[in-house]
Amino acid sequence: MTSFFSTFSIRFLLGTLLLSLAGCEWVEFSPNDHRAPAEESHLTRKNLARLEQQTLPPGDTLRFVFTGDSQRFYEQADDFVESVNQQPGISFVMVAGDISDFGLSREMRWVNEKLSKLRVPYLTVIGNHDQVANGRAAYQEIFGPLNYTFTYAGTRFIMTDTNGREYNFNGRIPDVPWVEQQLADTVGVQRQVVMSHVPPEDPDFDPTLRPAYTAALRNAPRLVFELNGHRHDFHIGQPFDDGVTYINSFAFEKRQYVVLTVWGQKQFRLKTIAF
Amino acid sequence: MRALFLFLLLAVPLGSLATPVAPPDSAGAPTAKHWFHPRHLLLQTGGGIGMVAAGAGYSYWHKRVSTDVLVGYVPKRHAGSKLTIVTLKASYSPVRLPLTADWQLTPLTVGAYGSYTIGLQNPGEPNQYPDDYYWFSRTLRYGPLLGSSIAYTAWPTSSDHSRSLAFYYELGTNDLYLHSYLTNRHSLRPSQLLTLAIGLKMNL
Repeated sequence: MTSFFSTFSIRFLLGTLLLSLAGCEWVEFSPNDHRAPAEESHLTRKNLARLEQQTLPPGDTLRFVFTGDSQRFYEQADDFVESVNQQPGISFVMVAGDISDFGLSREMRWVNEKLSKLRVPYLTVIGNHDQVANGRAAYQEIFGPLNYTFTYAGTRFIMTDTNGREYNFNGRIPDVPWVEQQLADTVGVQRQVVMSHVPPEDPDFDPTLRPAYTAALRNAPRLVFELNGHRHDFHIGQPFDDGVTYINSFAFEKRQYVVLTVWGQKQFRLKTIAF
Repeated sequence: MRALFLFLLLAVPLGSLATPVAPPDSAGAPTAKHWFHPRHLLLQTGGGIGMVAAGAGYSYWHKRVSTDVLVGYVPKRHAGSKLTIVTLKASYSPVRLPLTADWQLTPLTVGAYGSYTIGLQNPGEPNQYPDDYYWFSRTLRYGPLLGSSIAYTAWPTSSDHSRSLAFYYELGTNDLYLHSYLTNRHSLRPSQLLTLAIGLKMNL
């Protein structure tokens, strides 16, 4: 028994091998293992830092791309990036959730590998598919918080988790008090945009929170519109007939996206682009 | 169905490990082993079945075919919750090449595994979703394996039997990665699907 590990060299070689393999990305502990290289984690923070570098004065017209549901549409993602990179005057890209199909860290990183080739930063909100199994933890590790805000060119973007069914409708998602608080904070904000994955009229939205959530949006005078994904197809309307406009994104599979141009107090123009 | 799968995974090795070891036979005679005694023990990392996974298994047909059961562990800090993964693995190694008197190389092992994960944050509760809301299982994974191993024979237990210790690696993937690739063959690279396991196998 002693002969096998007797020589120092064998032990040294084995140790080195084990150490180098432990750092290898292929040594995955579970598909739900969310460890990722530093450059592929905390992407929301990094994209926001990038956005901060490119200045656009508050009075100027803001233009951004709006899409959603990139889940397992990698081929379309390549073409999407190529198309967006040809659009003039775009400040950033908004992805309305369902980055992944199975809530796995690798999927989120595969999508990032594509979207990191965009000339502009991109920002995401969590979708229901991103919460499957341990996806919520993976999303937090790869992208960042499930609820967050950022202000760019006088426009405050409020990104919130509305995937109530993933919490088995526990009465706490979306976090309505948090949304109300963000909408009430209007210091230095000309206009507001809310983005979430599941639209409030959808059966996957917590029905007990629908009245409070839509009321919060209705009572926000600076709200331009709410942006959603989940339904995989473009739609614009006022489903609650309360003056609040809801826009649903194309999924990547539809090979179309929306360019939104916002100016003045609540004016906007919408253009759909095929790729 | 899941309960049955789990039961089968757990019942086989526990039953065999719990059995007391038979008293040694008279000196010189090969050690008699009951069919239910595991023929090898395993300890591995990676391969999507645990940061650390330990198990036992059987081999048949001149040790060319092997079936193993492993229980793996992933700490909360790496996956968001503490995971226990129970894995059933079957493999086939057609060739064994003796290198020296003590060293032996198994250049190719092909196999498949199925795993069941316990402890997921959101595995789905009864009535949480309408029927067929998600078409894939969150807890059951399966996939192919390809690897090789090198074994050192030592510790004679009788005149014609020795225990051996093997170092092995396995490249694999799982059904969800494979599905992603097969629906996006031009945009994902096969190397992006791979998982690697490395481990030690003690042949008893």
